[in-house]
Amino acid sequence: MAKVNLSDIRKSYGAVKTIHGVDLDIRDGEFVVLVGPSGCGKSTLLRMIAGLETITDGTLKIGDRKVNDLDPKDRDIAMVFQSYALYPHMTVATNMGFSLEHRGGSKAEITERVNWAAGILGLTNLLDRYPRQLSGGQRQRVAMGRAIVRNPQVFLFDEPLSNLDAKLRVVMRGEIKALHHKLKTTTIYVTHDQVEAMTMADRIVVLNGGRVEQIGAPLDLYDRPVNRFVAGFIGSPSMNFLTGTITQRGFQTSGVVLPLATSTNTIVGQAAVYGIRPEHFRLNDHPGLASVPAEIMLIEPMGSETQVTMRLGDVQVIGVFRERINGAPGDVMHVLPEIGAVHLFSEDGTTRLN
Amino acid sequence: MAVAQENAYPEGRSLSPFWTIARRDSLAGFLFIAPQLIGIIAFVLIPLGLVFWYSLHEWNVLANTFTYTGAQNYLMLIEDESLVEVLGATAIFSAGLVVMNMSLALLLAVLLNQKLAGIAIFRTLFFSPVVVSLVAWTIVWGFLLQKNGGINGMLLMVGIEGPNWLREETTAMISVIVVQVFKNVGLNMILFLAALQGVPKELYEAARIDGAPAFKQFRRITLPLISPTILLTSIITIVGSLQVFAQIAVLTQGGPGLSTTVLVYYLYQQAFQFHFFGYGSTLSIMLFAIVAVLTFAQWQMRKRIVFYES
Amino acid sequence: MKADLSPRMRTALYGLMCVLLIPFVFPTWWMVTSSIKPISDIFAFPPQLIPQSYDWTTYSKVFELQPFVRQYWNSAYIAALVTVGTMIVSSMAGYAFARIKFPYANTIFMIVLLGLLIPSEVTIVPLFQMFLKAGMVNTHWPLILVPIFGAPSVFATFVMRQFFVTLPAELEDAARVDGLGRFKIFRKIALPLARPALASVAIFTFLHSWNLFLEPIVFLSSAEMFTLPQALTQYTDAYGGPMWNIQLAAATLTALPVLIVFVIAQKHFVEGLAHTGLKG
Repeated sequence: MAKVNLSDIRKSYGAVKTIHGVDLDIRDGEFVVLVGPSGCGKSTLLRMIAGLETITDGTLKIGDRKVNDLDPKDRDIAMVFQSYALYPHMTVATNMGFSLEHRGGSKAEITERVNWAAGILGLTNLLDRYPRQLSGGQRQRVAMGRAIVRNPQVFLFDEPLSNLDAKLRVVMRGEIKALHHKLKTTTIYVTHDQVEAMTMADRIVVLNGGRVEQIGAPLDLYDRPVNRFVAGFIGSPSMNFLTGTITQRGFQTSGVVLPLATSTNTIVGQAAVYGIRPEHFRLNDHPGLASVPAEIMLIEPMGSETQVTMRLGDVQVIGVFRERINGAPGDVMHVLPEIGAVHLFSEDGTTRLN
Repeated sequence: MAVAQENAYPEGRSLSPFWTIARRDSLAGFLFIAPQLIGIIAFVLIPLGLVFWYSLHEWNVLANTFTYTGAQNYLMLIEDESLVEVLGATAIFSAGLVVMNMSLALLLAVLLNQKLAGIAIFRTLFFSPVVVSLVAWTIVWGFLLQKNGGINGMLLMVGIEGPNWLREETTAMISVIVVQVFKNVGLNMILFLAALQGVPKELYEAARIDGAPAFKQFRRITLPLISPTILLTSIITIVGSLQVFAQIAVLTQGGPGLSTTVLVYYLYQQAFQFHFFGYGSTLSIMLFAIVAVLTFAQWQMRKRIVFYES
Repeated sequence: MKADLSPRMRTALYGLMCVLLIPFVFPTWWMVTSSIKPISDIFAFPPQLIPQSYDWTTYSKVFELQPFVRQYWNSAYIAALVTVGTMIVSSMAGYAFARIKFPYANTIFMIVLLGLLIPSEVTIVPLFQMFLKAGMVNTHWPLILVPIFGAPSVFATFVMRQFFVTLPAELEDAARVDGLGRFKIFRKIALPLARPALASVAIFTFLHSWNLFLEPIVFLSSAEMFTLPQALTQYTDAYGGPMWNIQLAAATLTALPVLIVFVIAQKHFVEGLAHTGLKG
């Protein structure tokens, strides 16, 4: 186990720059998730940590060693790939023991390690099978087994669950988390799925366009996103954004005024973006001072909650309510944004105002 | 980050700074291709240069003379009246071979693509001549095509007196083409069959729902989708047809007259039977030019005829 | 096209295929049966589709007239060497072109592909001169070296490259993380997975070498050195006319073993060929 330290890591292919200076300190035993839309550089960054891509500039340290110029094999890391990358011509046991074979482990030692890992992952009965004889979830487990047999300093996961169906993904999510709890190995995990990021990470790193947007604990990112990008990326369904101006009466957007906390009085007159998550609308049966009329456009009952697409003034937003809603498109209901859960961003979305 | 620069190889096992991952990979790459590259230089590029050099000389092996004559051998190409006949025979042979080979291969592939019991046995049998030794195959056909051979014997049983196949100009050409087609059509057949099996079944189902008849399905769906394979096999087949030598040498020795003397056979005669190495080299250059032009032309056609590329 | 066929259609298709089969199958049958007929019967009318009497002495003449065993060995060992050599050379080159980044890789690949454009017939004159100078005429070296390293192996390299291009990159990444260097990745991961492509390269190469005709007659001049294709044509009488029964017997001995191997292994054979990077 070791800490991992990235300072001003950059990557360019000729004149094309894809990673623009990433600084990141990962603590010993921490589970860090790199998340972002496709093309944000998260996989490149992970592959640079693994040694599969060269580092154009900056310093990468694993433990106290600078590893920029080391081969993957000398970095003491293990990696789980999106396609699992199991060797099709080797059995499960050979796949798992393959790296040890190349590190000069004795046969008995390898067998012991493989059996240990197989035991942890419930693969003991499958050791003689070939990858093609396994289900998706089993292959995923073998890929993890291959990583853990070596007891490396760092685990790297590259979108390991994206080839699984939704149900299995939830199960494996839990297993990876439990495995981390048991082994406490420093883990860097790449995904495009913010739910995975939220549920698994100790800390999340949100990447966009080769830059770090925000680093923080999942709920910090949810509660206090530092900019519009992070606000929109974290949370599902995504946060609603309305553009307008901050006034004394509240937030003036096209056709409606939305309530604001009094602390915003200092920035009255400024153009801004008003962000409110769907789950932070409340139903308000009695039209009152602060409530806002919303025209229903679509109602999607989920059972446990109801998702409503509605129009506030001229803007279409989504609200999620615990209540069941009887209404039809065209009806008007009254909703109330929770003042404490309102996010205000500068007009260009780059900074948080409240 | 100036700090990072200062402790550039602080601790841990770092490699010698020169052998970066990229440099080691380059070295590996060169080592991996070295045998092939050296072979190409020694056995293709240098000989190609030499053959051009030879083509500028008059070279009499028996008299042991090697005289620079500039373009004289190339002028001889124009004056050589036999060469007109040779090129004509080459064109007929190659065209006939390619057309027959490709259409028969496609027909067989379509037949073999049907859902019929025992189809694998037919596939094996149609393919079998490919693995029969070329000269053995040619010898038995030569035997069958004799005046009193098996084919005429069977024709006579139904009352037809067959020609002396290999001794008459038209039938000799047909014979060498047919012998070659049956020998190798199995290869193209297999490639076409693989391409046909790669066409998604849903497309045919959609076409049937749209009411397209079988022929139209073939023309509008099958052919466009297998066009990359058709192009590739036609290039291979054309280039291959220009290399046919053993069949001619065994069956007709280029005769009767020059009617089956294709360019390669003529080249062989000039160089190795008459020892005109200079002129033989000039013919080699010509063969190279023909192959290059044909390949290039077909490659250009790719854009027009290939509807889809994977 | 893929609908189930009516019984009548089925019969018609079987009939058509059986007729089409005749020129593919009959020559082999005729070769084998004629080779065991007495010489008086081989041109008999009406043609004897099934031999009515046998003469096995033809086969002993095959071995009396020429050092046929020696010639068989020549062909076999040359083809074996060429096949193994080509598999090594072309799998290495194909792998590098598909998988390793090195300077000028594309230019070099184009140069190598030139070999596809230059049939060995084009360079036969200078090759003859080169091997003559090296004292290798009337040896087997030209028949071994040129196919392994020269133009004929380019096609194999191309097939191997097309295969290796399709190999998932993550497999190699995993191998690197597992501690393998370039050569070990090639030997332990890429090569074992390339078996289908290697099989078709082996088949093509073997058949090419086994069938080689122009090169042997250019390079070889003594009967002990001859390869089979060349030897078959040497069974001629005093007037240069073919001794048909002996030629057919020798042809049968040449063709039959390969044919039998093919029938036994035909599934791998045909499917190997079909599933290599030739699909366009």
